[in-house]
Amino acid sequence: MRLVLTRDERIGVELDGGMIDVSAAFADIRYRTSADRMPRVMAVLHERRTDLERMAANGAPSAMPALQAPVPRPPKLIAAFGNYREGAERERQTQDMFLESPDSVIGSGDSVVLPNHPASIFHHEAELALVIGQRAKDLPTDERALAALAGYTCAIDVSARGLGRIGPSRIGKSFDTFTPLGPAIVTIDEIPDPQNLHVTLAVNGEPRQDYSTRDMEYSVVEILAYISSFMTLVPGDVIMCGTNHQGLGALQDGDQVTMMIEDVGTLSVAVRDPQRRAWPRGIDQDMADRQRAVGVS
Amino acid sequence: MRIVAFDDGKLGVVANDETVVDVTDLLQQFDPLGAADLLPDLITHFDELRPELDRKVAAGGGKPLAQVKLNSPLTRPAKIVCLMGNYREGTDRPLQILDLFFKSPEGIAGPGDTVVLPPHQADIFHHEAELAVVIGREAKDLADAEAMDAVFGYVVYNDISARGLGRTGINSFLGKSFDTFALFGPWIVTKDEIPDPQALHVTVDVNGERRQDYSTSDMERPVSELMTYISSVTTLHPGDVICCGTNHQGLGSVQDGDAMVTAVSGIGSFTVHIRDEHERAWQRGIDRAAGERVKAAAQHPVAQASGRTG
Repeated sequence: MRLVLTRDERIGVELDGGMIDVSAAFADIRYRTSADRMPRVMAVLHERRTDLERMAANGAPSAMPALQAPVPRPPKLIAAFGNYREGAERERQTQDMFLESPDSVIGSGDSVVLPNHPASIFHHEAELALVIGQRAKDLPTDERALAALAGYTCAIDVSARGLGRIGPSRIGKSFDTFTPLGPAIVTIDEIPDPQNLHVTLAVNGEPRQDYSTRDMEYSVVEILAYISSFMTLVPGDVIMCGTNHQGLGALQDGDQVTMMIEDVGTLSVAVRDPQRRAWPRGIDQDMADRQRAVGVS
Repeated sequence: MRIVAFDDGKLGVVANDETVVDVTDLLQQFDPLGAADLLPDLITHFDELRPELDRKVAAGGGKPLAQVKLNSPLTRPAKIVCLMGNYREGTDRPLQILDLFFKSPEGIAGPGDTVVLPPHQADIFHHEAELAVVIGREAKDLADAEAMDAVFGYVVYNDISARGLGRTGINSFLGKSFDTFALFGPWIVTKDEIPDPQALHVTVDVNGERRQDYSTSDMERPVSELMTYISSVTTLHPGDVICCGTNHQGLGSVQDGDAMVTAVSGIGSFTVHIRDEHERAWQRGIDRAAGERVKAAAQHPVAQASGRTG
């Protein structure tokens, strides 16, 4: 099942490219904003599955309306540090993660707005994202951890380089609009193997990133076990699994970005830069080479 | 005005006679979804509520402070924004580049609570006492002149920090995001009672022994500059909190059985206890090596840069 949130605050199931409104299945959930609402919806998604399937089976899909991110402001937005082998021959790196501002999230069809900060470049980082469906602490490092998920979605971790104090400063990832997320939350039953998904990202139709989640250093299950050994996960939390840096490139004014994960979805955003800065187009090969050199002695 | 959270789900005001006046009922008009909404609602509607709050406090009838269980005055902020080292610490150097990180809001604990050290193989667990700023309204791209308008008040913060976890060489901050590692107390003091946030005295005592002891006058970037900078990155919301960074001279370990008091002059103090079921032991007293390392690193900030990415 693929769950979406529309701009006019309806909850829908995506079917045959259209949508069936299933808001009624969540009518009892009190909320004040969609930021309040979707974590509560995530928390009951599994138990209401039968109702949702019945509504989807009996409804006629309407054309897909404009969407917002399926979790417009997650309780926590968590990101894994470089988590792909990227063709480097080395021991896997020590696992690590960090938090980003949940106010950075936007939906498919929205615009990334580059801020007036002196970044050396703004990169796209296409990532598989996990959406939490139940409160969880100290999850096991096996398939049972997946029960904590509501599902999967696509994320672009837009990254301003060269800001902040230390080399890999994370502040450049937390600007408003820097986390396009969506379009749908795809429940875990539709993804039999999250370690066998094909991730691509194209800018103005030109291919950039193109990798498989098979190459992850730490699997989805290991990510869930690790982060939940630190902090309690709550419904609506979003965890981005890291990117493969081979294929990163600049984002700049006027760009159209399309990210796809097979069986998960297609996420499209525009880029706007009021300063109209320009960087070389195409793949940033220096960045790719630097990343492969990390951890290789 | 001093705003407290107490008795696991109530919000109150501390009167001058040190009694807590319950104002939870007054906030029901905003239809809170849970206890976490009470403080943001109070903050959002503070100006309109203030006459009624003053009346309630004047009417008395509160419970003595000693008879309530104080909680973290921040129940579940949407964001905990933390500054990286933001004090001069006796060094004679140019200002460091501003930088920040986010801490897990699930880590909240408060007065009387227990910090639980996790089994992870940290080198040490440090206390980091800080002044923290509670946000008063939605704010993005604040201009210098309006920066302090977006402040609601101030609170005492202690940023418990596990060292040596995560990927080495990149200043991992995940060791600060364990559950029970974000300590706030004892109450929020509204900004009208703190005329100068850059003239406050911050202390930590562990088992009665003085550790951190510094003035916010030593901050590299004052609160007003933190407000403009952070709001140039991310939208701030009522009840979000900005932790202004610590002075590392005076850090020390926290370990099983410790009782720790964190205080900021003009705000207040609160005590927490430390539990470690592994009963690990570190040297007691001030960790002078950690203090010296921070001073040395700050002299050569560029040496830490490595071009690594997320």
